Formats: sequence, structure tokens, C-alpha cells
Amino acid sequence: MEGIIAIWQRDLIKFLRDKARLFGSFTMPILFLLIFGGGLSGTMETMMTQNLDVGGDFNYIEFVFPGIVSMTLLMTSVFSAMSVIEDKDFGYMKEILVSPISRVSIAVGKMAGAATVSTIQGIMLFALIPLLGLNYDWISLIQVIPFMFLLGAALSGIGLLFASFINSTQGFQLIVNIIVLPMVFMSGALFPINGMPGWLDVIVKLNPVTYGVDVMKKIMIDVDQLSMTVRETMGLNLTVFGRQVTVFEEILFILAFTALVIAIATLSFKRANA
Amino acid sequence: MNSVIKVSNLVKKYKNVDAVKGINFDVKEGEIFGFLGPNGAGKSTTINMICTMLPSTSGQITINGYDVEKQKDKVRGSIGIIFQENTLDEKLTANENLMLHCRFYNVPKDKRHERIQEVLHIVDLIDEQNQRVEEFSGGMKRRLEIARGLLHYPKVLFLDEPTVGLDPNTRAHLWKYILKLKEQEGITMFLTTHYLDEAEVSDRIAIMDQGEIIAIDSPTALKDELGGDLIELSTEDNDQAIQEIQDKVTGADVTVNGDTIHLKVDSSDAFISNFIKKLDIPITTLNIRKPTLNDVFLAYTGRNIQTNDE
Ligand SMILES: Nc1ncnc2c1ncn2[C@@H]1O[C@H](COP(=O)(O)OP(=O)(O)OP(=O)(O)O)[C@@H](O)[C@H]1O
Ligand SMILES: [Mg+2]
Repeated sequence: MEGIIAIWQRDLIKFLRDKARLFGSFTMPILFLLIFGGGLSGTMETMMTQNLDVGGDFNYIEFVFPGIVSMTLLMTSVFSAMSVIEDKDFGYMKEILVSPISRVSIAVGKMAGAATVSTIQGIMLFALIPLLGLNYDWISLIQVIPFMFLLGAALSGIGLLFASFINSTQGFQLIVNIIVLPMVFMSGALFPINGMPGWLDVIVKLNPVTYGVDVMKKIMIDVDQLSMTVRETMGLNLTVFGRQVTVFEEILFILAFTALVIAIATLSFKRANA
Repeated sequence: MNSVIKVSNLVKKYKNVDAVKGINFDVKEGEIFGFLGPNGAGKSTTINMICTMLPSTSGQITINGYDVEKQKDKVRGSIGIIFQENTLDEKLTANENLMLHCRFYNVPKDKRHERIQEVLHIVDLIDEQNQRVEEFSGGMKRRLEIARGLLHYPKVLFLDEPTVGLDPNTRAHLWKYILKLKEQEGITMFLTTHYLDEAEVSDRIAIMDQGEIIAIDSPTALKDELGGDLIELSTEDNDQAIQEIQDKVTGADVTVNGDTIHLKVDSSDAFISNFIKKLDIPITTLNIRKPTLNDVFLAYTGRNIQTNDE
């Protein structure tokens, strides 16, 4: 336990000291908010509500904001896993690996670090809520934080997997950039993903980000207040095998996914000789 | 005395190289054990296998009674390592680096502060403890690494080329610390180096070359085994000189090393005056000395230990 906390704290301290990283990672979500939330929101609303009679009920920015927070979680947590590669480059990984800390603790510590960093960045985005003219219930905002942490942990696992077989930070960045954007687009973060053609639908349903985004939206947006049509339009009726999934099931899925990546990451630390 | 490290039939094969070819040795409690060999001899490979960082191809290693393959955690808890490369976190302060180490090794909470100050004191970094490591000089970093290796009171401290890349002054300084440590803590040390003078501080030395241990003994015994004195000379015509030596001189082993002729004799006092009289070729340089570890290495391998550097 002590080992987990030590590894977690080290990554956190380093993140907080790295001002460039702290603010640099905001450019992407803010850019997306500007483009999708500001510039494109009218277009998106018209597109999404075509032939539907939802009137003024549908607010695209309200729809896209949790998606952009999820996207930030995805990017920050996956990129935070790059610390593993940096530690290998700068030799520190040897200090960790030669110590008696269990390999599971190393994996969990690294994951917790990435999850914390991404949660902090996600929460910082909340500061934009009043500026965007949104009003989420503050209770739901607090409720969503533990989930953000879980989602950050799960997604950082993807980063850890890449970090276990990529040895250069450049290579890692390249691969992650190739992987991350499709994961965002195929998740319902920016536009609803109902009615996708068959093969795309399979990708969407396999993508863990899909469930993350869906839970985020269901927690943040007051779903019960919305009419069935609006829910449909927002893609809030996610179904798998023709059956509508519950938040509980989605969280279970993400937990299982997290456990799986921890197991794989532990194995990779076991055979790592730095 | 007890053996803290036992290595038997240890082998490491990489794809193209057999880096370690079935070596055997013991390290006794409290001794400084030197591992001497040229670049690429297999020193780091051996140390990394002993420290659980590299799986061996075959063979057995026990440290402090624990099997390195089967009881990795116990072994890891019993050893401290100063790797050949820097493994500090340069973005953190010296103190933070040490505190992390305490936590990795489960040093009791109430002892941490005291121990950190203690090791910082040994390596003279008390005043710099709150500076970031990136602001340290190479020698300070090395000292900090040594301090860190000691924090959890390891049974054995491994030092893989602890002074590599440092200037002679800093090297001497660092050695002062290492020896102080050995005196104060009675710690067993396993040291690799390709500096001969550094190997001299060892109680015993294993000379390694091309993956094999070619000799193990105390530095004095190794040199005594070689025996006598060494005469190095160069002449105006070495080929002719060798011819003359072979014809007229007895009681000397003759080898040629570059443009100097080496004569190994039992006692230079008895030998030299007679020798100079017998030689017709004019001598340009002449040097008489006791054998060094390099001569030992040379005697076993026919090569100098230091090839191109320094
Ligand atoms: N990861 C590796 N893959 C393949 N070959 C390796 C690897 N590491 C070392 N070797 C080879 O094994 C041999 C022994 O290397 P090692 O690093 O143990 O030497 P060394 O005695 O520590 O040398 P130095 O004094 O330069 O540190 C060398 O021929 C080296 O090229
Ligand atoms: Mg080496």
C-alpha cells in the first residue's frame, strides 16, 4: 500500500510542478469546446433534430460538454501513462523495479497517478460551465467525480499497455494520437452514435470510452426531465444486443476492464528488466 | 566467515553474445569484493542477474540465503544498488528522492527522517538536500545515489562502476565516502570497475574477461603470484635486443607489449647491473616496478585491461 501511494504521489507532484503540461493539456478540450460548442452548435442542433419535433428542448452544448470532459479524461490519462516510458528513459524505472514493491502496486500506483491527474484536469474544465451558459446540478457534478476517477484509471490502462511495448516517447505519442481521436469519435462524445452502420456499431460497442461518455452524460444531464424524443436524439438510450444498458452495468463493465488492464500491466512489469 | 552471495554455474546468453559463460564465486560477509574487467567483460550483466533485474539463462544465485529466482522480494529487500547509469529523479529534490526510497523499502515511518539525515551526512549533502537533483554536479548525483542505496541498511551494496565519468578529484573523494561507509557500517560491498587503482581497495578481486572469471584472490596474492619485479625497457632496435636477451640472459620471462620489452625477474637488484652490461644495443628507456593488477590481467589474457580510454 505504501508503495502504491509513493508511486502515485511522485507522479502527482511531478505533474503539479510541470506548469506547461498543466495548462498545455487544456488547449485541445477548449479548442473542441469552441468549435463544437460555439461554432458548430447551431449546425449540430439542426442536424440532430432534423425531422424531429423537439423544439427548444435540445441543447447541443449541454450534450457535448460531458463528452468533452470524457475526451479530456481519455487524453490526459493515456498520456500520463507515458511517465512509464520517461521513467525507463531516465533510469528511474530501475530504482522502482529493483525495490521490493510488488509489481501489482507499481501498476496500480501508476494508474492511480494518471487517474488523479486526469480527474484534476476534468474538474478544471468545470470552471467553464458558467461561461458556456450551462447549468448542471452541482450535486450531479460532485457525483460524477468518483466516476471520472474510475474512467481515468480504466483509460490510463490503455496507455500502460502501449507503454509496455513502446520504448520511445515519440513512438508512444504517435501511436496514442492515432488511437485516441477515433476512440473519441466512435464514442458518442461529440455526436450521438445511434443508427451507425453495422461494423461501426461494433466498434462503438467495444470502445470503453462509449460507456464512460454515456455514464457521464447520464449523471450530469438530468435525464428524467427530458422527453423520450430528446433522450433518443441525444443518444442516451444506449443499447447492446438490442437491450438498453443501465448505468450500473456500464460501471461494472468499466471496473472489469480496469481489472483486466491492471492484470496485464502487472505482467508487463513482472517481465520488465528495465 | 559466512558467504552472503553464492553464485554457481551462472550463464547468460543474449541473442548474439554469450555474455556470461558459467561463472562460480562466493562473496563473504563484510568484505569488499571487486569485479574487474575490461568493457564488455560481462560485469554489469552479472550484477544485474544477481540483483533480480535480469533473468539468467541458467545457474543458481543465492543472496543472504534467498534464492534470486524464487524469492525476488526477499532478495530485493536485502540489497542496495548503485547502477552504472543515473537512476535519480532529477525533477525532485535530494530529500524527496531519499524519502521515496524509504517508502519503496518500507523503512519504518518514525526512522525515516533520522536515516535520511544520517546518509546525507555521510555523503556531505546535508546543505543541498532541498535542491532539485537537476542542479547537482555529476559527483553530487553519484554521492546521492550512494546515500540512497544505504537508506534501508542493505546486507550487500552493489556498486556498478560508481565513479565512471567523474574527474580524478571527485573519484578520490567518492572513494573516501565509500571506505568510510565500509568502516562505519561494516557493509558487504560488491564493486565493479575497470579502474585498476579502485580495484586495489577490495579484499578480494575476481578478474573477468569475455564472460569468464579468470582469477579470484586478494590483490596482493594476485600480484605475488605473478611475483618478482617487472623491467620495462625500450631500445634502438627491439628485435635485435630480444635476440640478444634470448642468447645471453637467463632468469627472465620476456614479453613484448607494443614498443616496450617486458622482463619479469625474481629480483631486479640482483639482475639489473649484470643485464645492462650484457646488452650491446643502446637502451633508450628503462623502468623497474612491482607488478600491478594490469600485469596480472596481462599475464592471464595477453591484453591490457584498458584498451582505448584514458
Ligand atoms: N541487452 C543486451 N542485449 C544483447 N547483448 C548485450 C546486452 N547487454 C549486454 N550485452 C552484451 O553482453 C556483453 C557484456 O556486457 P556488460 O554490459 O555486462 O559488460 P561490462 O563488463 O559491464 O562492460 P562495461 O565496463 O562497459 O560496463 C557485451 O558483449 C555486451 O555487448
Ligand atoms: Mg558495465
